[in-house]
Amino acid sequence: MNKTYQKKHELWLAILFASFAVNDEAIKSRLYDFSQIAFRHMKWLGEQILENGEDYNYDRDMVLLKRNSVFEIIEALRQDITNIQALYPKNILGERMKTDDAYLLEYLAQIMKDSANNQEVTAFNMQRKWGEKDLAQEQIDALTLFLFEESYKEYELILVYAYMQARTKDVLHFNVFQDLVDESQFHLKSFGNMMAKLGILALPRELHTMTYVVKDLNQFIKDGIAEEEAAKIMCKELSDAIKDEELAKFFDFINYQESYHIELMKKLL
Amino acid sequence: MFENVKMPEGMNPEVLEHLMNPKNYGKLDDADGVGVALDEKTKEYVIFYTKLDSDIIENVKFATNGCQDTVVIGSMFTQMILGNDTNYANTAVQKMHDKLGKLSAQQQVCADIVFTAFLASLKNYEHKQNGEDEELHVLKMKESCQVEQTDEGKENE
Repeated sequence: MNKTYQKKHELWLAILFASFAVNDEAIKSRLYDFSQIAFRHMKWLGEQILENGEDYNYDRDMVLLKRNSVFEIIEALRQDITNIQALYPKNILGERMKTDDAYLLEYLAQIMKDSANNQEVTAFNMQRKWGEKDLAQEQIDALTLFLFEESYKEYELILVYAYMQARTKDVLHFNVFQDLVDESQFHLKSFGNMMAKLGILALPRELHTMTYVVKDLNQFIKDGIAEEEAAKIMCKELSDAIKDEELAKFFDFINYQESYHIELMKKLL
Repeated sequence: MFENVKMPEGMNPEVLEHLMNPKNYGKLDDADGVGVALDEKTKEYVIFYTKLDSDIIENVKFATNGCQDTVVIGSMFTQMILGNDTNYANTAVQKMHDKLGKLSAQQQVCADIVFTAFLASLKNYEHKQNGEDEELHVLKMKESCQVEQTDEGKENE
């Protein structure tokens, strides 16, 4: 079952990063919704694996290829979805995943019927231009580094909290982990779309077991609070460094969200 | 290799490529040596896997929960030593130190943790060759992120 879990993890990322890569807002939004469904599949699969007395990990075996057109992305997604079908368990969850995937395949087929949807993909062109705005090179560099740093961190947090959520019997902890996962999903979405806009979209690197197998929750939370404090400082520095009002406001907004994460995390102590 | 490389402040395409697609990143199931460098204060770690064919570094992987500078340096360093012998790799450590000396203090710290993890993997290999049953070798970084010069045995986990 770990193989199925791994492939589901990869499919979640494939759909999620396809949504970041596509510029068309309608397709982007639908793909993002499907990515969240895939993430729930992954969560339910994990629960089932644990109930069966087995375990899963976050190993991956995928690369994010630099596609040039929407149809290339869609075609690759269709292939990934088709390939996973044989791995699904023969039970109610397996049926649920199959019907969800069938609907997604149908949606993808509809997109492919209209050649107007086959737009150029600019998410991987490494141009590092922020639309029409004229940001100075050092601001672009600061933004680039921040996005790589934080997109990895949000991916890490999603998986670490999901891992702990799947293993807790404490309702308060369960709820806090869910809130933190949801918040990080939003941050990852924001940062992923910004990376795509800059032409530097890339998968966050794989998590090592040393990162997500937590032996001491209290210590982990204390370290996590310190990390959130550091993230707040990074956001503030970036907000100060970027001389664009719209972007600066966005990073202030993220900064305030990090403040509340700390309050949520304190509930776990 | 590092002559024209500028680290993230003033990012060039090579560094960007390492950020987008770090080389030799991940785990190595059949590694001969596994080493970890751990900064206990920040909980940042680098784990390094080394596969040797006699003295030649046949394969190498690394992983980290650290910052992007650590990732870029790890990616570059593993590319540099892959296919070379351990003597070269040890020289490469020094060569990179010389080059990276121009970097900020923060980036120097990141370089140190990568090199220390590599050295820990060689130490683990050496211990295994001596018949010790050591899953991996851990070297703890000082606050300044330099390897502790204390009894290594106490540092092992």
